[in-house]
Amino acid sequence: MSSVILKNLKKSFGAVGVIKGIDLLIEPGEFCVFVGPSGCGKSTLLRLIAGLEEASSGVIEIAGREVTDAEPSERGIAMVFQSYALYPHLTVRENIGFGLSLARLPKAEIAAKVQAAAEILQLGPLLDRKPKALSGGQRQRVAIGRAMVRDPKVFLLDEPLSNLDAALRAQMRMELTDLHRKLGATMIYVTHDQVEAMTMADKIVVLNGGRIEQVGSPMELYNAPVSPFVAGFIGSPKMNLVPRDGGTFGIRPEHLDLSTSAGLWEGTVRHVERLGAESILYLATQEMGELTIRIQGQDCPALGARAFATPQPGRAFHFQAA
Amino acid sequence: MKPHQRNAGLAALAVAFVVFILPFLFTFLMAVKTKKEAALFLFSWPSEWQFWANLTEVVKARNYMLLLAYFNSTLITLAAVSGLVVMGAMVGYVLQRRASGWNRLIYAGVLMGLMVPPAVVPTIWVLQGLGLFKTIHGMVLIQIAYGLSFSILLYRSFIGTIPRDLDEAARIDGARPWEIFFRVILPLLKPVTVTLIVVQSIAIFNDFTNPLYYLPGKENVTVQLTLFNFQTQFQSQFNLLFMNILLVTIPPLLVFIFFNRQIVAGMTAGGVKG
Ligand SMILES: Nc1ncnc2c1ncn2[C@@H]1O[C@H](COP(=O)(O)OP(=O)(O)OP(=O)(O)O)[C@@H](O)[C@H]1O
Ligand SMILES: [Mg+2]
Repeated sequence: MSSVILKNLKKSFGAVGVIKGIDLLIEPGEFCVFVGPSGCGKSTLLRLIAGLEEASSGVIEIAGREVTDAEPSERGIAMVFQSYALYPHLTVRENIGFGLSLARLPKAEIAAKVQAAAEILQLGPLLDRKPKALSGGQRQRVAIGRAMVRDPKVFLLDEPLSNLDAALRAQMRMELTDLHRKLGATMIYVTHDQVEAMTMADKIVVLNGGRIEQVGSPMELYNAPVSPFVAGFIGSPKMNLVPRDGGTFGIRPEHLDLSTSAGLWEGTVRHVERLGAESILYLATQEMGELTIRIQGQDCPALGARAFATPQPGRAFHFQAA
Repeated sequence: MKPHQRNAGLAALAVAFVVFILPFLFTFLMAVKTKKEAALFLFSWPSEWQFWANLTEVVKARNYMLLLAYFNSTLITLAAVSGLVVMGAMVGYVLQRRASGWNRLIYAGVLMGLMVPPAVVPTIWVLQGLGLFKTIHGMVLIQIAYGLSFSILLYRSFIGTIPRDLDEAARIDGARPWEIFFRVILPLLKPVTVTLIVVQSIAIFNDFTNPLYYLPGKENVTVQLTLFNFQTQFQSQFNLLFMNILLVTIPPLLVFIFFNRQIVAGMTAGGVKG
């Protein structure tokens, strides 16, 4: 278990600044998730921590040791790539043991470690296959196994689930959380999927344009977003954000009450998405523009009907313009 | 299959037969004829089969010169092709993976090597100056120099299809640059390497002009040059000349037949996905 500390970390490619000064403390054993829209620098930040990119300025400390200029293999990290990056010419066994064989460990020790990792990840029967004979989820597990045997202080994962289908993704989310609990290692996880961030993280770091927008636990971010950007990013469906008085007014879809008789904002039902247990309703109002409303059950007004929305008390946000 | 499709197929087969099989058949038939019959130069069935007699005579001719030629040609081919594979892959890798200001210059040099035809006489001067003229290793270097540009370009474009993530994963696993190359990249280059080995070894083994210019001397004889020697000696013995041609053709043919499938795989393989 090791902490990761970033101090005023910056990275530019040529004249273009991509990471514009990041200060961050990741506690030992924490599951930390970087989220943000595409191109905001999540991968770059992770690669800086991994040592695959050189920092333009700033300091990186892992486990209390400064590693800003250290080789990736000397940082005590392991990385799982979005593409898995398994060696196509090696079997699963050789893939997982590759780093150990480079370190010239005795054969018996390598075999034991590979076996142990395979057991945790349920890869036993697949050990002699080549990666191309594996399914996406199995490849994912091999990639995690390859990271595990290195016994890293910190795991780095760059959108590891984005190539999987929805069902498998949900299952892998659970497995990863279990694995994190079992290993107790620090994990840094990059995703642009806020569901992954909310469900897995101890700490979420919201990035925007190479800067940290907000850091906090999932519920802190949900309950007290500091900016419209974070408010819009965390929670699904997205928070309703309406420009007001030179700032922004925000109210989450689940915090709007719907009524067909009376309410604060009147509008017409423009679109309905029924999901079974809940329904998402889009209400076109005069005053607030289009509002998204989330209601329990399947019972909602017909398309084109008049309806009223009322914010629940104490649930609205007012963001002052910066 | 529609009739016109079948006709087209038959026509293609016929053309292939005339272009590829007939000359080979002619060579074979000439090679087993008697001296007298061969001198007639007819495409006819031999009246008397002289296969073994001709074969032993060709092998024994000029104090087993053909065997020495086989040895020399094989040596040159092995050494040159190894050099082409190792150096081509290494240079191709560096050119593809390491962006630097020198890359353009190196790339221009490589292209130049591909386009500018080599000049014989200055090359001989250089070889003489280096003490490499009339030596087998001089010949090996010549073959490498002539083939290197092509193999660099081939490797460079193929390495472009190997995801960089693999390099980075290996780096995180603790691989040093040469380990990344030899343990991750090189094994993935197998399809191109096989293609390169086949194409270049046939070309170098069959090379006639370069050994003729750069490797004179009886003890340096290569297989194609044995034809040259026999042709003057056996002016009227076409049966032996054709037997010699047959013997010289067979090794490359075997290589080709043996590697045929991999060559096609190498030429069509684009990615190394998954
Ligand atoms: N090697 C590079 N050279 C120049 N620009 C780069 C390089 N790598 C990344 N960038 C730029 O840096 C910015 C951030 O890239 P990064 O890959 O970190 O985004 P990301 O947050 O991971 O996005 P995504 O969610 O799409 O993966 C992008 O604008 C990208 O174009
Ligand atoms: Mg990314």
